[in-house]
Amino acid sequence: MKVLEIKNVHKIYNSSEVKVHAVNDISLDFEKGEFAAIVGPSGSGKTTLLNMIGGLDTPTDGEILVDNTNLAELKSSKLIDFRMRNIGFVFQSYNLIPVLTAKENVEFIMSLQKWDKKERDQRTFELLKAVGLEDRVNSRPSKLSGGQQQRVAVARALASKPKFVLADEPTANLDSKSTETLLDIMEELNREEGITFIFSTHDARVVKKARRVITVEDGKVISDERKN
Amino acid sequence: MIWKTAWKNVWRNKVRSLVVIISVTIGIFGGIFAVAVMNGAIEQRVDAALNDEIAHIHINDPAFRDNYDIQLSIPNPEQVLSILRETTGVNAVTARTIITGMANTATKSAGVQIMGIDPETEKEVLRLNETTIPGTGDFFETASRHNLAYIGHELAKDLNIIRYRIDQEGLDSLAAKEVSAEVLEKLSPFTGVRFKSEKSFKKEVKRVLTLKEQHTYGGLIREEAWSFRARSKMTLTFLDKNQVQTGAVFRIAGIFDIKNSMFEMSQVMVKNEDLRVLTGMAPNEYHQLIIRLETLESTEEVTASLAEKLPGLEVMNWKEIQPDLAMMTDMVQKFYAIFMVIILAALAFGIVNTMLMVVLERTKELGMLTAIGMNKKRVFNMIMLESVFLSLVGGVTGMIISQLVIGVTAKKGINFASYAEGFEAMGYPAHIYPVISTSFFITVTVLIIITGILSSIYPALKALKLDPAEALRTE
Repeated sequence: MKVLEIKNVHKIYNSSEVKVHAVNDISLDFEKGEFAAIVGPSGSGKTTLLNMIGGLDTPTDGEILVDNTNLAELKSSKLIDFRMRNIGFVFQSYNLIPVLTAKENVEFIMSLQKWDKKERDQRTFELLKAVGLEDRVNSRPSKLSGGQQQRVAVARALASKPKFVLADEPTANLDSKSTETLLDIMEELNREEGITFIFSTHDARVVKKARRVITVEDGKVISDERKN
Repeated sequence: MIWKTAWKNVWRNKVRSLVVIISVTIGIFGGIFAVAVMNGAIEQRVDAALNDEIAHIHINDPAFRDNYDIQLSIPNPEQVLSILRETTGVNAVTARTIITGMANTATKSAGVQIMGIDPETEKEVLRLNETTIPGTGDFFETASRHNLAYIGHELAKDLNIIRYRIDQEGLDSLAAKEVSAEVLEKLSPFTGVRFKSEKSFKKEVKRVLTLKEQHTYGGLIREEAWSFRARSKMTLTFLDKNQVQTGAVFRIAGIFDIKNSMFEMSQVMVKNEDLRVLTGMAPNEYHQLIIRLETLESTEEVTASLAEKLPGLEVMNWKEIQPDLAMMTDMVQKFYAIFMVIILAALAFGIVNTMLMVVLERTKELGMLTAIGMNKKRVFNMIMLESVFLSLVGGVTGMIISQLVIGVTAKKGINFASYAEGFEAMGYPAHIYPVISTSFFITVTVLIIITGILSSIYPALKALKLDPAEALRTE
């Protein structure tokens, strides 16, 4: 079952003198349960592509369909709501809300979606347990290590049971051990909950774990390999 | 969760938030306390006017107030008094004969309004008798074969009925009141000297004391030196009913002090029967009826009712007699609200500045919140709530401090003794008891919330303009 279709997507940035073709006619499909990495050198267009997939940026041309919904057809407020319900985000620098505890960070989106408190508490506990932080529920981000913060961010991304999770360089700020733990957790969640993970990364360890590796260069897909 | 997050965000940068909160606290405290002092002064002024000076309603001939013509008395006063006693809402009535004349002593004279009163009914309508300075008389209580006059403190000073004298006993008393030895030393040459007027006494005291000493001890020294000789007398001269110049000697039956220089200077109370003998007025002839109502709130209603019942007479209530008082009582709440709005508007700029900093500092976080699904309305609400919380914490603290300070000062009052002359010249007491209503606190709370909301609009709009993808790239 396709959760994401990218059809002939272009992204052109027009500055005063130069026209930059950041994404140049990319078409990709993602099935439910994929664990995919988009790789490529800096400036290859992978973050731009990820932003367009996440509805944070709009293609100059082409279509992006999430669960058969064309993101370009959604108005700003609808798009934000759609993103909240269907797309999870994990950022390079964790981006947790510093004044909230791990538990509150995870349940934030659920509370925006007006989940029942009991249901919310249960889901939050399950996710924090899944990322191995059940004993740090009341810790604020400043009291957690980088790896732990990123695990909270993963739990938050999964909170509203999205169709897929976009992770932009999630391991860039982590040491080897934290990276290993994080990738294991994400892989397990991918297998258990069937959630699609799409990474944008430079990290060879992520590439090694990924079951599909898409290589982008100069805004174009130059290879799309699936591992068995 | 948005409320919780906004509240926690307020305390993210404690120092910055505390600076804003403290400035709001000081602003609100300053505003409320200033309003409480003004309000206290006005309430005391209105209370004094209604209870000591004019009561609630006056009835007289329509032309009488133009030049206080002795001929313009109230026709059929007994019938009018009977109507008044039967009117609902009327608590007490007193009748006066009023003429203008001159008050003279051996050294000074002053133009005055002479009120012929009935002391017994007068006490039911006004409480002027309760303001008698101890030791100066008893408001016509003691029978006398002489004509008696009850006069104001300022007039007594002006006519040199009150003298100033420092004796050893006075110096000891000042020492007991912690007046410095240096000041007492400077005053000692005046021991036994009797000053004929306040002016000459002040002049001498000013000559020997420094400005600071005058400011600190001037009031106490004047109070101690104040002296009144029992059975002092003065002459009142005026035109009788036949327009013939007449007059008589009056003994002082008391000196009243209501902290209103103008009233104290101009009003002399004498007994109706004494004035009648001198002016040739008939036994039941009166110029003015003064009414005390059961409740202040019924003023308009009773005025209208009496005006209808007494078509040939002028019926004026206190708001018409002293429109300045009416304006104060009617306008004062609006003025206070405007005063607070100005203070809050000034504070709002500080809050706007802080909230702009907040938005600037949290660009990346706001981008993240938009990315993960917080819509514009929620982002706006979060910023607005932070601003409202900031304002409310400062505002509520300011209100609590105000309430505490007002509570303490309302018991003892605030003494502006150094400015007493200025205050009393305008009819205001120099010892003010601050007072504030609960409804004013409610108004201020609403204004603080509005300030918080308005202060958040510009920063929140800035936050809404952020592009999430771009915001996420900021460091």
